[in-house]
Formats: sequence, structure tokens, C-alpha cells
Amino acid sequence: MKKLRQEFADTMLEVGPQDPRLVVMVGDISHGILQPFAAACPNRYYNIGICEPTIVNMAAGLNKTGLIPVIHTIAPFITERAYEQIKLDLGYQMLSTNIVSVGGAFDYAQLGCSHHCYTDVSLISHLKRGVVVLPGSPAEFNKLFKEVYANGMINYFRLPEHAHGIEFKPEDIRFGKGICVREGRDATIAVIGTQLKSALAAVNDLAKLGISAEVLYFHTIKPFDAELIRVSVMKTRRFLTVEELSAHDGLFNLCLRACLGIEHVNAGQIAITDFVHGYGNYDELCNRVGMCPDGIKRAILDLIG
Amino acid sequence: MTLNRDLRLQIAQMVKKSGEGHIPSSYSIVDLIEHLYSQVLRVDAKNPTGAERDYFILSKGHGCGALYAVLHKFGFLSDQDIEDYSTSKGILGGHPDMTTVPGVEASTGSLGHGFPTAVGTALGLRIQGRSNRTFALLGDGECHEGTVWESANVAANLKLGNLCAVVDWNGSAAQLMPIDDLPQKWRAFGWEVHEIDGHCAEDIRIAFAKLSFERDGQPKAVVARTIKGKGVSFIEGHGRWHHRVPNEDEMSLIIKELAA
Repeated sequence: MKKLRQEFADTMLEVGPQDPRLVVMVGDISHGILQPFAAACPNRYYNIGICEPTIVNMAAGLNKTGLIPVIHTIAPFITERAYEQIKLDLGYQMLSTNIVSVGGAFDYAQLGCSHHCYTDVSLISHLKRGVVVLPGSPAEFNKLFKEVYANGMINYFRLPEHAHGIEFKPEDIRFGKGICVREGRDATIAVIGTQLKSALAAVNDLAKLGISAEVLYFHTIKPFDAELIRVSVMKTRRFLTVEELSAHDGLFNLCLRACLGIEHVNAGQIAITDFVHGYGNYDELCNRVGMCPDGIKRAILDLIG
Repeated sequence: MTLNRDLRLQIAQMVKKSGEGHIPSSYSIVDLIEHLYSQVLRVDAKNPTGAERDYFILSKGHGCGALYAVLHKFGFLSDQDIEDYSTSKGILGGHPDMTTVPGVEASTGSLGHGFPTAVGTALGLRIQGRSNRTFALLGDGECHEGTVWESANVAANLKLGNLCAVVDWNGSAAQLMPIDDLPQKWRAFGWEVHEIDGHCAEDIRIAFAKLSFERDGQPKAVVARTIKGKGVSFIEGHGRWHHRVPNEDEMSLIIKELAA
């Protein structure tokens, strides 16, 4: 499957020639793969440099003049370092931009905690005009970006390094709507991003134990498809969230809110509770926090009791 | 001779009535802003968001008393707007809000934000081949912020010749960081620098008259030596007046000095 980052470059090349308002600014990453866009759209591609707060401010300024900025760099630097710029210069000023990050959670596993980012989704979700899209496959990014990039909001796209590997039909990818990937009756697994792959593997293992788990996949976090999880939990009365996000604010909170009022529900969460110290590859760090088929299986068994 | 005594008086009256405002920071920039709106900026109070307008961003948002007084003078704001300053009925507060105030181009307050936004505005205008110009007024204390220098660096390297920074060099920054040669710093970042007396009408007029704005050229910095609180002797300088509201006696003295 194509890398999400390559799909980002390809989508810019697709949209840019059709929409002269689109301007791409990057923080010294993805420079090579964006050269076709730069050639196709003269004066609309800028490698600004390593100065993320300024890039956000400049996006606000560009938008003031009627352009639609797309800014792209590594998640912690654009969302955490530059959050005041996102909050004030885009949020307070009612301006719009598209933020496309890579390196969410611990995608840059071997580079250590300085390059990890667990709070990006929560931070953008706090903004009234924030939109959060977590595409886990190239087709999701292409379709969802084109659907929302000109909506006048603060759109955040987190591109994972590893696609989940599932090919959804284009008609099944709808902004703001989750996808029921596997139906089940005993427990619901709500999952985002790459972890869909682990969730489906865990479901197969659980089936061997006679446990039927439903898998709901959310590529859009804000707006959130509360109805999908609510209907599922009314059936299963158990849910587990698997999210490469801070445990303190993310998918679990959204699901809990969606299920308020449903009686006798057991809930569990696999998320990131603190810095994941140390080094290793992506899979090793996932294992360390229980984000793997076996961790999900054990968590579901705990819920069922 | 002190310039713009009427605007200074209005600023003091707004602060006195509402109990909120930064008089000295407004007095150090009011002459510069008045000149920009009267002689330099291509703006129209009847159409403040017109496509052909120049953009003026007050990056040191706490000096907004000066901006409000000037916007009122040139018809962007009504008498009622000034009357309602810093009340729940009004649109004007202790820092400006671009979503509600005609003529305000950026909601500033947190320092180091307005100027980088102006860099983006200048780039956006150039991308579209538009001849509008962008001006940003920032404080010397604000120049402590890293984002000022990030974006100054970017603007010079992008050759944003349609951009002008006006720096209010009133000495606030040097209280903490005495290595304070701002003209040298802006030159080092690749800007065309003009150093002037920010309270001298002739200096201000000459500096802005000779600026030449090009599509691809050096951005311009007008570094204006100013006096915080300029125009009222006991407010001038640094210290307790930064965010102080005058009492009745002090207000009488302000009126007396500005009338002299």
C-alpha cells in the first residue's frame, strides 16, 4: 500500500492545479516528494524552514488574503510547540488552514520522546472550529482531504507512518462517519489509525475462544460518529478503545460521552499514559503500551470477565 | 511640541472612564499610527475589508488605545464605540479583536503573533499578484519574542518587498536586555532599515515617503525612537504607569499638560 505521506503529495498535485487558492508550506520535510506540486503550481509551494510557530502565523496571514493554506511538518512541532498560534491566530481570529502532520504518537519510534506526540488530537479538538481527521489509508486521506480542505475550518490531518492495510470502498469513506469493519455481539472495539490492523488480528484470536467482537473504525474524531458507537454498545454492553493518543483525552472520552445513559456498560482503554521512554521500532513501542493483538485480546477478556 | 494632543487626551479619557488600558504604550506609538492612517495607508473607512486595501497590523496589541483613537478620527469607529470602550456593550477591549472591530486586521495581545501574521499576509498578496502593502507595528519589548526573529528571517529570505515593520523603540526591552541595537539587528536579518525620531513629524514623514515597495525586494523596517508615555511628563518613562488608571487629580494634570 502507498505511504500516506506520498498520498499527501499526490493529493496536493491533484487538487492544486484545480484550485488556485491552495498554497503548501512545509517545515523542511517532504521537500522531495512535493516537487511535482511545486512545478505544477508555481509560487504556491514554500519550504519555509524550521520555524513552526511562524508557519502557523503565516498560514493565518495567507488565509486573510483569501488563500487556502496547507501546512505540513512533524506533529509535536506543529501542534504542541505552535499551539498558541493555532489557538489564537486561527481559532480566535476565525481563520482557516489545513494542518497535515506526520510523526503522531510514536511513529518516529527510534528518535525518542522528543519526536513523539500524544496530545495533538486533543489539542485541536479543543478548538470550536477544529476538525480532526486520522486517515489510516491513502484512499481515506485523498477522499477526506478533498471533502473538507476548503470548509473554512481548522482541519488537522494526522498521517500515520504505517497504513492499516485495509482497502475501504470509496463510498464507505464518509467524513464524520465511522466504519463498522467487523460485526460482533460480545464486545465492541473502537479503534483509530494503524491499530485497526491489531484489532482485526485480536478479533480473529478471540473468535477462536468463542468470543464475538465488533470492530468500529473512526477516521474522523471531530466531528465524532457518536451514534455508531452508541448503537454498538447498546448491543454488546462492553467497549474497548485502542488509540495512539494520550489516555487523558481522546477516543475513550468520546465513546464514554456517546454512551451516557446506557446501563451496565463495561469499558476499557488502551492508550498512552505517559512518555514512552527508550527506543525501538514502532511495533516494539506499541507492544510496550499494550497496542498489539495480544494486548487487545487480554483487555477484551478482562472486560468480559 | 507634542503631536496629536487630542488623540492623547482621548486615550487617557477612555482609560479613566473604563478603568482599563495602557496609556504609556499608546502614547509612544500614536504619532506613528496617526501618520500612517493620514498619509500612508490606502484604506477606506466605508469599506474596511476592501480588496485593494493596505493591511495594518498592530502587533503590540496592548497599545490599542492609540489605534482606537486613530480609527475613530478617520471614521472607522463611532463616538459610541469609543464611549463603550472596555464594557460589555462595546466592541473595543484592552486588546483588539479583528472579528468585531472595523479596521483591525489581527486580534493581538499575546506578543510575537501579529508580525508573523503580517509576513503571511504579505506573502499571500504577492502570490496573488496584488499591489496591497502590509505594515506591522511591533514593540521593542515584543522583539524579545523568538517568533519576531523567525519571521523576520523568513520575510527577508522570501524578499517580501511589500512588507514594512514599524518598531516602537521606546526602551522597554533594554530594561531587561541592554544589548539593544535594534537597527543593527534588523539589518543583520536582511531588512532595509530607517531609524527615526518617532515623535518628530518631519522625521516620520520623510521616512515613509521614501519607502519604495516592490514585489521582490528587501522588506523595510522603520525603527522609531520613541518615549513611553510621550506628552505627559509624569507618565513618561518606565514603571508604575505601564498599566495604571489615572485618578481624578492625575486626570486633571493630564488635561492640563496636554492643553499647555
